[in-house]
Amino acid sequence: MNNLLLRYINLMVVTITILIIISFSLGYLFPGDTLTNISGIVPQSEEQRIALEAAFKLDRSIFVQFWYYLDNLVSGDWGVSFSSQVSLIDEISIAFPATLELITYALLISIFIGIPIGFIGGIWHHKPFDFGAVTFSVVSYSFPVFWLALIFITIFCLQLGYLPLSGRVNFLYDIPHNSGFILWDILVADSPNKKDAFADALRHLILPTASIALVTTAIFIRFTRRSIMDEMQKGYIDAAKSRGFTTKQIFFKHGLRNSLLPIIPLMALQISTLMTNAMVVETIFSWPGIGNWLIQAIYQRDYPAIRIGMLVVSIFVVTFTISIEFISRAFDPARDKFERGTV
Amino acid sequence: MPLLDIKNLTVEIDTGSEFVKALDKVSLTVESGEIRALVGESGSGKSLIVSAIIGAVPDHWIITADRLTWKGHNLLAMSNEQRRIIMRREIAVVFQDPTSALDPSATLRAQLEESIPEEFLDKGMFWQRNKQRREIAIGLMHKVGIKNHEACMQRYPHEIATDIAQKFMIAMALVSEPELLIADDSTRSMESTTKNQILRLLSGLNETKKLSILFVSHDLLAISSMAHTMTVLYCGQTVESGKVQDLHNRPLHPYTKALLDSAPSFQINLPPKSHLVSLQGTIPTLKHLPIGCRLGPRCPNARKECVKVPEQRMVNQHSYSCHFPLHLPIDEQLEKNQ
Repeated sequence: MNNLLLRYINLMVVTITILIIISFSLGYLFPGDTLTNISGIVPQSEEQRIALEAAFKLDRSIFVQFWYYLDNLVSGDWGVSFSSQVSLIDEISIAFPATLELITYALLISIFIGIPIGFIGGIWHHKPFDFGAVTFSVVSYSFPVFWLALIFITIFCLQLGYLPLSGRVNFLYDIPHNSGFILWDILVADSPNKKDAFADALRHLILPTASIALVTTAIFIRFTRRSIMDEMQKGYIDAAKSRGFTTKQIFFKHGLRNSLLPIIPLMALQISTLMTNAMVVETIFSWPGIGNWLIQAIYQRDYPAIRIGMLVVSIFVVTFTISIEFISRAFDPARDKFERGTV
Repeated sequence: MPLLDIKNLTVEIDTGSEFVKALDKVSLTVESGEIRALVGESGSGKSLIVSAIIGAVPDHWIITADRLTWKGHNLLAMSNEQRRIIMRREIAVVFQDPTSALDPSATLRAQLEESIPEEFLDKGMFWQRNKQRREIAIGLMHKVGIKNHEACMQRYPHEIATDIAQKFMIAMALVSEPELLIADDSTRSMESTTKNQILRLLSGLNETKKLSILFVSHDLLAISSMAHTMTVLYCGQTVESGKVQDLHNRPLHPYTKALLDSAPSFQINLPPKSHLVSLQGTIPTLKHLPIGCRLGPRCPNARKECVKVPEQRMVNQHSYSCHFPLHLPIDEQLEKNQ
């Protein structure tokens, strides 16, 4: 187990180092002045340029520059945005939790809806419920996310007017920024109309979460259904039946665990899809998340912001994927199945 | 009354395009306290009989039988729940492939302890149950010859050798103290000392606890040493059935004779380096089954009558299905048939 942990940590460190090297070299690869790309400040005079170059160690060798870059990354000095001149770490710590909140809810919804539906479909396969589940998953898997979001807006916001069109919470409610998760912030906020604010934030959440969750739910349904169908046909299920165990006992003690095992790594695979979809949906719903923020940065050619934003998102995806991969590896005894001799 | 009584069991299996009779009017009985051997080549439908008895055949395959009874109760007409209760306590099965018959994500200990019926846990209060379960499990492991139980109990099925898994399967089958043990080729991958140990254990249980055994195998030597009666199966048809001694001394069916002749252990004066006798050809595939007696194309005695399925005939507890059995001269038979 320790070996396994070490191996995964090593994998993570190497991957993140490569990502940092890429983000560092982006400063040189982006068009324009390297100094501006790295610092986010356009030097107004020759003296300021020399001062900045000295501050960012641009007059030293590339290795010193990289070390300095690493040092700054770790200490939280990520430079300033080119367009707003606000510290990047502040902007990201506001934008990133908003996205995280969105994809967390979307993932939870697809797990808690997709897996049970898939299970029921897998057990009663080729029955009406199963046909319904498969149809639903094929249809919802086929929707492009941006189009679905627009259809939702057309129906629920413009035609029916049930749900708000954009943003996280109505501006009437003044919610101080705390963790960045809006629902949590409202709960801990010291505000007289907490309840209304919470309901309002929930109403804002419904459409963006639904548009992201639908595709992932479809994937979970299909995968769970297939997994349970395969497992329930295996020899050990027949053997358990021949031992006279009850159907419930067979399913919950043997079938369920074995069919869940391949689903855990699937969550890791889904996180990058969720992240991408969240970025698209944020732009459509003006959700103040990292996707929206990055697209704004791209419009404004805000190179320091693009560089750091890309690094943060990819480190998140890598960390999450590797952790889930590690957990599934640790839970599944048969994962490293190499031939062994006798006991 | 026999314990397990099967008469004219036919199983039609779905090959995708059509239904094929993989078992064609198979008859088999297991009396209380006997060891019945079921012999046949690979692909002769031995395992399918086992599946049909335990009810592990897919729902859309067609099973018909004149009788398929357990202690006089019709297994085919039973509800799933009744059948489950019989399987829980009265019939136990050891499967052919031990590693696929064990749950890959549970330790051996968990699986063995799960199989212990609740009724056995009578000593002490409920918090002592786990300890008792453990003791029963360890006792069983020792009984089937796994001495190093500690190293084995914490393992997962993919971590143990096949012969240990094989023994472990036997332990799991014996845990509920069944009346009938169906051993589907359970000594296949063992070396001979372990095999003898298992065979001795099974014979011992048969003698002391009146355990009936349906011993599915193609190991003729093992069968002749422990079984009382045997049934020979060829390509889904019962060929001959009777006491092991009778079948050995005087096989009535050409196939049984060929089968015994092919085993060098039973040839008393076999000169060194001589050819073993065997039938021409191989067992037909399910897609190309001959009509009538399925041995027809390979049988040395085949005549045109053999395109009809032979009736089962009885001579002194010794039944056979052949138009031209070995104990009667063929000419006389021909006249009789005409």
